Amino acid sequence: MSGLRRALGLVAIQGIVVGLVALAIVLSSDHVEGKAASAALGLFLGWSWIGVGLYAWWRRPDNRFGVLMTAVGFAYFLGVLANADAPWLFTLGVIVSSLYLAVFAHMLLAYPEGRIESRRLRRVLAGGYTLSLVGPVPTLMFADSDRLGCECPESVILVADDDTLYRIFDGLTSALAVALVGYVLYVLVKRWQVASPPQRRAMAPVLWSGICLLVVLAGSLTSQAVDGPDAVYDATTLLGLVFFALTPYGFLFGLLRSRVLQAGAVTELLHRMGDAPDRSGLREMLSAALGDRSLQVVYWLEDKRRWVDAGGRPAMLPDADDPARATMRVERDGRAVGAILHDRTLCDDPELVRSVAAAAGLSIENERLQAQLRARVEELRASRARIVEASTAERRRLERDLHDGAQQRLVALSLTMRLAQTRLHKDPDAAEQLLGGAQEELAHALEELRELARGIHPAVLSDRGLGPALEALAGRSPVPVELDGTPPERLPAAVEAAAYFVVAEALTNVAKYAGASQARVCVSRSNGHAVVEIADDGVGGADPLRGSGLRGLADRVSALDGILKLNSPAGAGTLLRAEIPV
Amino acid sequence: MSCTILIVDDHPSFRASARVVLESEGFDVVGEAVDGASALQECCRLRPQVVLLDVQLPDTDGFRVCSEITSHAQHPIVIMTSSRDGSDFGPLVSTSGACGFVPKAELSGERVQELLGP
Repeated sequence: MSGLRRALGLVAIQGIVVGLVALAIVLSSDHVEGKAASAALGLFLGWSWIGVGLYAWWRRPDNRFGVLMTAVGFAYFLGVLANADAPWLFTLGVIVSSLYLAVFAHMLLAYPEGRIESRRLRRVLAGGYTLSLVGPVPTLMFADSDRLGCECPESVILVADDDTLYRIFDGLTSALAVALVGYVLYVLVKRWQVASPPQRRAMAPVLWSGICLLVVLAGSLTSQAVDGPDAVYDATTLLGLVFFALTPYGFLFGLLRSRVLQAGAVTELLHRMGDAPDRSGLREMLSAALGDRSLQVVYWLEDKRRWVDAGGRPAMLPDADDPARATMRVERDGRAVGAILHDRTLCDDPELVRSVAAAAGLSIENERLQAQLRARVEELRASRARIVEASTAERRRLERDLHDGAQQRLVALSLTMRLAQTRLHKDPDAAEQLLGGAQEELAHALEELRELARGIHPAVLSDRGLGPALEALAGRSPVPVELDGTPPERLPAAVEAAAYFVVAEALTNVAKYAGASQARVCVSRSNGHAVVEIADDGVGGADPLRGSGLRGLADRVSALDGILKLNSPAGAGTLLRAEIPV
Repeated sequence: MSCTILIVDDHPSFRASARVVLESEGFDVVGEAVDGASALQECCRLRPQVVLLDVQLPDTDGFRVCSEITSHAQHPIVIMTSSRDGSDFGPLVSTSGACGFVPKAELSGERVQELLGP
């Protein structure tokens, strides 16, 4: 920073020296009318541009706008050389006398970012610079001082005084200049039309004084080209000078206004914060304070590690290189609580956004708690719907299982029994065979009913508790299961059931997908929780979203305020862990 | 000449029992089908006089198959059957073009003969 300050100090000293040299040139000139007034005006204009330019440069070192403003001031002083008495200095001065207008146009086109991205605009600008330097040359070659009607020295590059050539070239130069100025005006007006309200507010002072100057310049050039009356030329020149002088002060005014507005906006915001804002109120207030209707407020949920809007729905932050949107994070006591998503133009005034964010911190924190609650409600609503859906699906499955299994067997059994009955006397051997088949069918039906009943709710779990129920489950598993331990005391029925079904589903998955040689099951109590762990030595890579089984389990566990975690790195087995508060 | 019959049901245990029951009471079971599509095919191929048709088939609804079969001229008589009770289906049996309904557990040649009439 001190390096920048020293460099800017040096530029300022150079500006003062150049200004004083210009002053000396004007005062010692023998072909300038109203030396004192002209010198004072020139000094005022040049130093205004350099001074304000340096201030802007210092405020925003990364933005080249300040550099360009300073350059306009120096270029303006360069044109003062045309007041010199030495013929070669005078000639050089006339050549560079319009350079400041090209730099000025450059500055306007680069506003407010300080650089020009469009290749076409760069080419137009290069044309402008060329025209500003080449334009006066024909005049210096084909018009002597008499024709120009001044008492200035003779041009050192005067070839011959030729009225026709002078008029042709002068007209051509003016026409080209009018076209260029017109094009720049068109670009600026277009830019104004597509700008967002905060962008317009930021651009207004500079853009409008620049546009006015360009309009006047175009008028002056046109009157010159059509050889209009001198009075018009003089009046437009004067008006042009006024707008030229106003531009840096317009910029300064814009800066000061944003400072005043900033202080006002923050005061107003703090004042209104007391009125306990509702959900949309906070956004409206911040939007009014920053003058950005597109503003959004999002909140950080630490437990879910994600951003949500005021309604608790997931939200996204704009990318760091988003051309239109930017983010101001809001922290309290070093913790993220939320973020203000705003128009990127506001980045030109980071202090404003920062102070508004600081003023709104407490309200955003409160809103965050509300948003957290809404997110939780939203989650509960979804999980409740899933539970209802799962229960309907479960009933459908039970009906189907009963119909396809035991019921079909019993139907067949009924037919067989009737057949056996009719043959009992006529053909006792056939009847005996039929009864033997019926016995087998009945055994199958009973086994299917047992399996089904166990799936609904295992009797051993309600009668004997988790330990025996898990032992039975382990005994039926096709993959060898080692039961590492279960709590000796009974747990609440809902917790026991959840734990049982977590183990049952996990062991089903182990048998179906894991390709494991063995599994280990452990239920323990720790920190007021029942912790259920099922580990296998299989292929891993289990997807928690696959199938409805795990999802249903997660809902079942979360209905008891518990959590379900799946750790299944590819090739390294699977660990399913449920923690349920007891 | 005994009455020819086609049994349509996806449960093999029921098809086997039904065949034994019906054959023992003088019916001629000419074929079996496991779903709606094959039922229609077998109907055309075997031209049975009676089709014993399960309501719940894996590929379609038995009532729909019944309507399809009875939409042809010279169609066989269709008797619906299910392990559920006939009252579970409301008016569906009569509107589908079937001649009647027999619960699976009560299937016998006599019941079928009753529905077919004299």
